[in-house]
Amino acid sequence: MESPGIILAFFALSGLTATSALLVLVARNLMHALVFLVVSFLGMAGLFLTLSADFIAVAQILIYAGSISVLMVFAVMLTPLASRNNGSTLYVIPALLAAGGLSNIIGFIAIDTDWDERKGEVLAQSDFTTTVAGIGDLLLGKYILAFEVASVLLLFALLGAIVLVQERRRAGEEA
Amino acid sequence: MPARRRQGTNVNSTVEPYVLNIGPQHPSTHGVFRVRVVMDGEVIRDLDMIVGYLHRSMEKLAEERTYTQNIPFTDRADYLAAMSGNLGLALGIERLAGVEVPERASYLRVIFAELQRIASHAMANGTLVSDAGAWQTPLLYMFREREKILDLFEMTCGARLTTNYMRAGGVSFEPPPEFWPALKELVAELPGRIDEYMELLADNEIFLGRTRGIGVITPEDAINGSLVGPALRGSGVPWDLRKAEPYCVYDRFDFDVPVGIRGDVYDRFMCRMMETRESVRILQQAIAQIPAGPHKNDIPLALRPPVGEVYSRVEGPRGEVGFYLVSDGGPAPYRFHLRAPSLINLSLLRELARGASLPDAVVTLGSIDIVVGEIDR
Amino acid sequence: MSEQPMRPATPMLQQIAEHHSLLQRFMGVSKEWKGFVFLLLAGFGLANLAIAYVVVDGRLDGHWYDIRDLGNAVAGLRGWMQDEGFHPAVPYVTTALLGALGILSVVGGWLLIGSWVERRVLAKFQIRQGPNRTGPFGLLQPIADAVKLMQKEVVIPRAADHFLYYAPPVIIFIPALLGWGPVPWAERMSFLDLNVGVLYTIAISSLGVLGVFLAGWSSNNHYSLLGAMRTVAMMVSYEIPISIALLAVVLLTGSMQLSTIVAWQANYNAWLILLLPFAAFTFLFASTAEINRTPNDIGEAESEIVAGFYTEYSGMKAGLFMGVELGNAILVGAMMSTFFLGGYTLFGLETWIPGYLILTTKIGLVYFLFVWLRGTLPRFRLDQLMGYAWKFLIPLSIAQVMLVAIEASIFARWDVPAIFPLVAFALVNLGLTVEMVRRWARALGYAPEIMAQQPVMATTIGGLKAAQKMRGG
Repeated sequence: MESPGIILAFFALSGLTATSALLVLVARNLMHALVFLVVSFLGMAGLFLTLSADFIAVAQILIYAGSISVLMVFAVMLTPLASRNNGSTLYVIPALLAAGGLSNIIGFIAIDTDWDERKGEVLAQSDFTTTVAGIGDLLLGKYILAFEVASVLLLFALLGAIVLVQERRRAGEEA
Repeated sequence: MPARRRQGTNVNSTVEPYVLNIGPQHPSTHGVFRVRVVMDGEVIRDLDMIVGYLHRSMEKLAEERTYTQNIPFTDRADYLAAMSGNLGLALGIERLAGVEVPERASYLRVIFAELQRIASHAMANGTLVSDAGAWQTPLLYMFREREKILDLFEMTCGARLTTNYMRAGGVSFEPPPEFWPALKELVAELPGRIDEYMELLADNEIFLGRTRGIGVITPEDAINGSLVGPALRGSGVPWDLRKAEPYCVYDRFDFDVPVGIRGDVYDRFMCRMMETRESVRILQQAIAQIPAGPHKNDIPLALRPPVGEVYSRVEGPRGEVGFYLVSDGGPAPYRFHLRAPSLINLSLLRELARGASLPDAVVTLGSIDIVVGEIDR
Repeated sequence: MSEQPMRPATPMLQQIAEHHSLLQRFMGVSKEWKGFVFLLLAGFGLANLAIAYVVVDGRLDGHWYDIRDLGNAVAGLRGWMQDEGFHPAVPYVTTALLGALGILSVVGGWLLIGSWVERRVLAKFQIRQGPNRTGPFGLLQPIADAVKLMQKEVVIPRAADHFLYYAPPVIIFIPALLGWGPVPWAERMSFLDLNVGVLYTIAISSLGVLGVFLAGWSSNNHYSLLGAMRTVAMMVSYEIPISIALLAVVLLTGSMQLSTIVAWQANYNAWLILLLPFAAFTFLFASTAEINRTPNDIGEAESEIVAGFYTEYSGMKAGLFMGVELGNAILVGAMMSTFFLGGYTLFGLETWIPGYLILTTKIGLVYFLFVWLRGTLPRFRLDQLMGYAWKFLIPLSIAQVMLVAIEASIFARWDVPAIFPLVAFALVNLGLTVEMVRRWARALGYAPEIMAQQPVMATTIGGLKAAQKMRGG
């Protein structure tokens, strides 16, 4: 494979990611779990960096570690008795099913992919690129439909949030 | 506050009241004053005012001391406006005992009371702007003038804060010769300073945004709540004891009473600012008119007023400072009561702060301008 | 006694000169000292002339000892290591460590000097002296403060969440250091010249939120939690205007690389603050919100919530929070200089004097602006601040970005000397910005002539009836 530095970094980062992901499950305090989750996100960003996908890495930090974590902070704060208990609930069954299904899919793809083909010249020939300009070209060219659909979805999410907040305020005024 | 069910969720969750204990040690309570606030996010749902941390049993102690010995208590009641307290008590004793005051003493009283008003308003407005978040800059600028005024006090009576200057029958000392040039210099530079503050704050967008429409008191509410001083005038009621029932020689001066139009924090602030200007006008006239003569009439050391009662009031910086004195013919008052403007103005805070956000409540408290020494006594 | 004519107040500059003047102090010293100082100045001037001669001569260019470009020195070191036959990892790691050391020392030095400058300058604004006892001009005060803070007992609230209580001072310090990575200090002096530098900057700045929130939450103090929630809400809101403002920069320069943005500005001799005034203002204002500085310091509003999210921290932990706040202010200064003020360039002067000195000067100027604001302005309220972001900055920024997108495509296609489109863009942007801000503010209900109504003079004296009469008339 490649230089020992990359291998070392891969194992260190994946160890960090996996360990903190495990700790998310184990931690009984939701806030502790949240911190471990952020560490896990950062480890993921590091893994992307070792793959020279710097745009993805930065986006990972910006969106997951920066914004999603704040979203979760608000979610935890708005949940009653949030800090005290991450205990057993019945949701463990659907969660287990979903996690099992997802890991099956990922595992299947990982085993099925012909990794040897995905490096060197083959990689250079494919239109895969890490630079921002390339990603932008693809998003506004080949994948324009997906891009537009995603933006419409986000717009609706924004509108939905506004509608929700307005409704609650009206209910509060009546009460 | 009772636990309530959160709207829009089907979870049977109760929300604990979020109780914030502001004070007795807090940057914006202006002394050892404590408020227990029940909050909902940033909004204040309810609050309890807890006073008494500075209680010194002043009114009871006063019954054991002669009338002259009681004057220092008034220094320590409203410690930012000692002169006004002195003046109110001295006027009360004079009315109770029928003591005459020489004319020069009346003028000196007016000069010192107005200087004290400027100093106190500087402090009040400075701390108000600090409460609004200006990092102490206006406060320190206003302290510059207050320092000079306190220097004048020190020149005259040896004390800066607890002056103990007024006596029944006059004032305790004639100001030294170097007092007059210093006073004239101060009076000459004050209008420029006030313009400077107006320039900095009166049109400041952030300050306007923080104070306009905040803590609005209607004239009806102000009168029903027995408000006095700038808090009353800020809400549009043109009431000033210096005009309504002139004491000392206030009827000889030409000055105006600024009155707010909306009754919000900004109006109270601007009323204080403009009152400072009017005080400068009074000072200029008083300096020009002051006659020569003795600064006090000699009265017996242990004054024994005839049996009777008197309520004397003066317009202090914070409003009507009233003294209720009952004499049983002895050397000490039978009953000594201080009507403290801060305490009564403060009583409206609960209504003002309910439903307001925390920063608004802090600014409102700052605009009411309390002195805890006077509240707790 | 007659009335004295009114005398205007002493002008502020004159006051400052009276209070504290190096020149006056210098006039008081002995003749020998004066001669010594003149000799020093003459020597300094001669040395400068010599340096200028060497620089103009051109014999320095590209050598490792060219102090105008420390990047050359590092490149020289790396080349030497490769020639000596070290393992390829060694030069890589060595230069990386050297760069990290450089950033650490720059940040550390700035923290020491910056805290002194802030206190001293603020004191001058407030007609006080400021720290002036420890060392010459009180310059050693920050060191004394740091020693004091380290000696202090660290008090931990009994009900605090210990694990999360210890982490935030560290968590919050990491982005403050990481943010310095992509800053170009000179032409080849950039620790981490990412081609997604702008995105990296935004991403790193969004990391600090978590530390702030954890600090407020783990202290188990109501003031802390209020401060934390305020800060988090504000940071999340103001990330959007910052991103949009930087989007305008990226559109016009066509690059996300910070060094390219600076090179673009140097190439066209046009600072982006002239071309994109609204973006520059948005960036500056939103940055003050992100880093908790006046007029947006609501996260630690002293008069309301004591010290905000770090109320319960003591000793060096509180010191770290304050240090991070200062370090972030300087980092924003660096970003502001890089994005909008031409970075390390100064209209060609960067070939003569080191670029990092120019950048440092610009950072200092922006920092001075921050201190000035702190010494002047009151604080916004949380809802005002959020409303300002969502109702004012974001819509206007989006409008500005659309405008800039059109301009950028014109600029790329129009084949005339760059000066014409750039001047046109600057004028159009400035005019449109002023007009847009005015109209939008009016549409949102901004009315200064009503806001600043002042109290009136009473015509009568009395109670409620007089009040009603005055109100009616």
